Amino acid sequence: MYLIKKSEVLNIARELAKDHLVYGPVTDEATGQVLFDSLDDPGKADLGAPIPTIPPKNVVFPQMECIYSYRYDKNSRAVDIRQVNAVKPKALFGLRSCDLEGMRILDRFFLGQEFVDDFYLNNRKKTFIVTNTCIAPFAQCFCVCTDSGPSAKEGFDLNLTELGDEYLVEAGSDRGKALAEKLGLAKADGSYAAKKTAAVDRAMDLFTGFAVENKAWVSRVTNRVTTGFIKEDVWEYIGDQCFECGACTFVCPSCSCFNIEDVNKNDGSTERLRSWDSCSYEGYSKMAGDHNPRKPVEDRRNKRFFCKLSYSQSKKYLRPGCVGCGRCAWVCPGDIGLPNVVTYIRRETTK
Amino acid sequence: MADKHECDNGCKIVSIPQVATIEEIKDEIVDVKTFYLNIDDAGVREKFRIRSGQFIMCTVFGAGEFAVSLPPSPENDRFHISVRQVGKVTRALHALQVGDKVGIRGPFGNGFPFEDIKGKNVVYVAGGIGLIPLRSSIVHVLQNRKDFGRIILIYGARSPKDLMYQYNIDEWLKIDGFETYITIDSPAPGWTGETGFVHNLIPKANVPVDNTVAFVCGPPVMFNSVINVLMEQGLSDDCIISTLERHMKCGIGKCQHCAIGRTLVCTDGPVYTYRQIKTLGEQI
Amino acid sequence: MNYKPGICTFCGNGCGHFLRITDGGVGGVFASRNHPVSQGRLCVRGWNIHELLSTNRRILEPMVRRNGTLEKVSTDEALSLSMERLMKYAGESPDLVAVLASPRASNEETYLLMKLARTVLKTNNIGVDSDSGHRSSMDVLHAGTGFPGMLGSVKGITKTEFILVFDIDITKQNPILGSEIHRARRGGATLVTVDSRETQIARLSDTFVRTKPGSNKVILGALAKILIDENLVDSAFIQRHTAGFEGFANLLGSLSYDDIAAKTGVGLDDLRDIARKLAGAKSAMAFYPTGVSGLDSDMIGYLFNLFLLAGKIGCENSGINPVTGLNNLQGAFDMGAAPDLLTGFQPLGDSKAAAKFGDVWGVNPPAKAGKAPYAILDDPAGKLKAIVVMDHDEGIVRYAEKLKSVDFIVYIGAFENPFTEFAHVVLPVASYIETDGTYTNTERRIQLSRKKTEPASGVLPGWKLFSAMAGKGGAKWDYSSAEDVMKEISKLTPIYSKVNYAKLEKSFGIQWPCDEANPDGTESFSLGSVNRALNFVTLRGSYDVPAASKEYPWQLMVGKAQHYWHQNNLMKITKIPLREYNATLLMYTQGFIEISVADAKSLQVRDKWPVKVTSAQGTMNVSVKVSEEVGDGTAYVPYFVQDMITKFLLVHDEALKYGEDATIPVRIEKV
Repeated sequence: MYLIKKSEVLNIARELAKDHLVYGPVTDEATGQVLFDSLDDPGKADLGAPIPTIPPKNVVFPQMECIYSYRYDKNSRAVDIRQVNAVKPKALFGLRSCDLEGMRILDRFFLGQEFVDDFYLNNRKKTFIVTNTCIAPFAQCFCVCTDSGPSAKEGFDLNLTELGDEYLVEAGSDRGKALAEKLGLAKADGSYAAKKTAAVDRAMDLFTGFAVENKAWVSRVTNRVTTGFIKEDVWEYIGDQCFECGACTFVCPSCSCFNIEDVNKNDGSTERLRSWDSCSYEGYSKMAGDHNPRKPVEDRRNKRFFCKLSYSQSKKYLRPGCVGCGRCAWVCPGDIGLPNVVTYIRRETTK
Repeated sequence: MADKHECDNGCKIVSIPQVATIEEIKDEIVDVKTFYLNIDDAGVREKFRIRSGQFIMCTVFGAGEFAVSLPPSPENDRFHISVRQVGKVTRALHALQVGDKVGIRGPFGNGFPFEDIKGKNVVYVAGGIGLIPLRSSIVHVLQNRKDFGRIILIYGARSPKDLMYQYNIDEWLKIDGFETYITIDSPAPGWTGETGFVHNLIPKANVPVDNTVAFVCGPPVMFNSVINVLMEQGLSDDCIISTLERHMKCGIGKCQHCAIGRTLVCTDGPVYTYRQIKTLGEQI
Repeated sequence: MNYKPGICTFCGNGCGHFLRITDGGVGGVFASRNHPVSQGRLCVRGWNIHELLSTNRRILEPMVRRNGTLEKVSTDEALSLSMERLMKYAGESPDLVAVLASPRASNEETYLLMKLARTVLKTNNIGVDSDSGHRSSMDVLHAGTGFPGMLGSVKGITKTEFILVFDIDITKQNPILGSEIHRARRGGATLVTVDSRETQIARLSDTFVRTKPGSNKVILGALAKILIDENLVDSAFIQRHTAGFEGFANLLGSLSYDDIAAKTGVGLDDLRDIARKLAGAKSAMAFYPTGVSGLDSDMIGYLFNLFLLAGKIGCENSGINPVTGLNNLQGAFDMGAAPDLLTGFQPLGDSKAAAKFGDVWGVNPPAKAGKAPYAILDDPAGKLKAIVVMDHDEGIVRYAEKLKSVDFIVYIGAFENPFTEFAHVVLPVASYIETDGTYTNTERRIQLSRKKTEPASGVLPGWKLFSAMAGKGGAKWDYSSAEDVMKEISKLTPIYSKVNYAKLEKSFGIQWPCDEANPDGTESFSLGSVNRALNFVTLRGSYDVPAASKEYPWQLMVGKAQHYWHQNNLMKITKIPLREYNATLLMYTQGFIEISVADAKSLQVRDKWPVKVTSAQGTMNVSVKVSEEVGDGTAYVPYFVQDMITKFLLVHDEALKYGEDATIPVRIEKV
């Protein structure tokens, strides 16, 4: 454990910027919106900003990415496949714990199953992670219900916790420790562990609304989603409100569905593009020919909540699929962000 | 980025396709062609091994990639795929000529059981192009004829010209104890064989029940009626085996297009017992 | 930072978004939470706009048709040739040339195209692609209130007490507007949907009445009659603020209660219930479609008069609201892309206004009113020698045959488009993220979209391209930016008079009128802002509905399906939206006709079975889609689908003019 003055905390980002592309929370001046974006100036990072509307998922799993390109000469029948070059190491600075958990889900999903996803690995490897403890929750947060906050437990290189006018800096890896040493940070004495615990406890007490009322219900609903004991009319009620926009998938730190398309370029080459996809789309599961096994919209909603809230999916992720960030509720044109779905199922169950 | 064909993942081509040459193209039935393929890189070709029931991802350069089941037997069979043109990519494949190149990733998926079913009677029930994925297992089982009990193929198609692999069926009939029952949906000029739907042939074939596995593959309506008849005959749902087709983009369990309930067809399947299919929690 | 704020330019909603701009171009999109219209929401189109903006299916080089094929030429050559030919025909007679503006182009681009037509080609033959419905709407609203645009605003939706969604599949066409209405309903507003199909918004409504197709006018007339007969009208309001009540009340006399249920398929009690809810609410809004498949002016007039009776025009959170399908349809009219209008709905015939333009332009607009390009093409006697078409969707394809007889066609666009088949000259133009420009959404919100990427080398932004064309035509325009163009627009356009880029930059857009009295814009039309009576609109009093005959027992509705409006060319360039557009069609590869469960039963057909559809003019074979969305005796086909359907519908051009309320009597047979 180390300490750094609040006024100097961005020096960590500046140091990282020397050999990393640094991403962090930053406020767009024109719209006032907080984004998790690449920082031209590491000094612009805002550790006090609310949870960014854009999750850091995009950094390791871009919304649209050329995974490789090829050129096929029809006359000589020569094929030239070009792989994407290694990318520059990245640093994620000021990641909230919910978003770290989202990324750890992606890691386990893309890297930890039968096959390793080389393209994800290429983006993800060498990423330096600095997390930022939430000393107060934001209005939509319910990470306490999904075991993903308010403070990161593991998976970071450095974790920052704001304690008055200084930050406690915990190293979670050797390279985190090396960076702290390089910056010559002061060592924190043993009393700081208790101080951090107190800060996190205080944050826990500040949760209100859904996070408090539904704490037990998130796991009860998970049980029901897993076993299928949810009446069809609940899914219908949810399905009627689905606008099939895909937003919940795109803003979710742990959603990982993608589409692949070959795009022919003007120079005769072809790019194999992979881009975010959503199970809420009707065409998502359709097959060439005329069979769409998952046609009614409520079936498709059912599928998504199965991913976020079921034990079978948790087995792959080693934790619940939902990380409690609350973004899906922000962006839903219906009223079926995950917290509401839990509420609807709860209402139906207790009726 | 490491290319994974170096046999560090069970000899699979995982991420970047390997180039293969189309050595021969055979017209099968309307809209279906068979493409005999040969992987260009000799090192990869030598290590490339399949199991029956698996599939590959095939790239048609400039058009895209699609999942396709593998009809060849894993032993002593020319490597090929049989493809119906249904969409943009398969249409582009059909437009290719001998000598053209395609890309191959795979093989992927669990595959049909082989060792586990030795000593049993094997019944294949196929409808239309449902025979394509079953061909691999049929040939493999026939290549090891002595290890199995009765081997029965019950096959139906809309009309005589919709029957796949007729030349293969003729060859298989030469093998001792291979029983074949073929039907077309409705009478056609020159057809002297059975007419009617496939499931009606099952009682006629006097299908055994004990110590028997059935492989069923075909369009959803045919599939359901066949299952009903087999179960009525007394076959247990874990002795009925099928292979599912789904929209796939990656083949390696990542894109999630092929998710059915809690399972991913590309990595958990495509081969499932009917007992498993029933519990997938979604329409198949 | 990679993310740059901007606005979505698919539909007329004008949602806020961020585009992820990297060296490689546009790599992603994200929703804008603080944007007042979208508030963090986007639809399936908006969430995939990066697929469109990163496409290589662009028009990047000027082309000229030689010996039947388009050949690449230099910009200078293409411009010289274009203007030489256009000027030649215009010189013979201004009637021989026409300009079809785009409902997608920016205000600045459309303004300059309009100026080019009027000052260089000296013709008033100018119109907007897919214009009919919205112009009708503006005419009715202008006649009634003097305010030619949406009377209410998006912001007012969640504050109003009663919402009528009239004949629009709003959650598919303008999904975020639909979302806001759904939000209002959850907040306690009464939501009534009147439609011939059970749409998603119908399922989310308090009350849904399924009307027989073609009976919209009777429904609106009946609601008005009930208000009068049950004394539910706002008499004080009518007396103090309106004129023409008697005329409207008399007109309704010819509508008899006896056959309303038979004509509309809706019981009188249901209509009474709706009328009472409308009258009882403190505030009320209606949303209805505009654009190519919008309501006709008579129906919009009935809707307007109905709301006037209820005292729901000009008061807080009230009014009738046309929903524009395309991003700058409102703006295109605001910029005077109409044969009889200058900017901001100033009549060409108003000599004072015309003189003002003459002063600024140095050339007077031609005095003789022109005709819209479609009107000329529609007219069998119409003589058109040359036409300039910008960035169109597929409406004009209806005139494919006629276009073959036009000598010279110039197409201007940013994306590949099948229309280039018809063109003699093709001119590339920068896409909306490659230049600055403003767009006016369905609620009159003028929004600035800043340049985010460089256009390909040699490709000019619209304001430069039109200046260059004017130059070749002998005029001298010296704009140095799109902002310069807006300065001129605001000088000439009262409702845009206080609009400037600095103000737009600092806001999420400004709703017109933005003038001396309302420097920050105007959220909604209010009584206080006008010094005049609101007029009951003069209407026709015939209440015929298409009746089923023995020979043709089904009423076939023609409309939009899925997420797409028109045969949208932009959608076809994307991947995921294209897939979604095709999702239903992949299930029905031969195209489909939607019929009810009971009708399927009586025809003895099942889902996907082929049927033959016969009208007095033609036949088509399609698959049946058995659906609970249509009523018995009605059938539905989306008009953009298979060529077969399009061809079948083309001969029913007359019916198509009535847009969403159009019906074609047909017979359906099992084959």
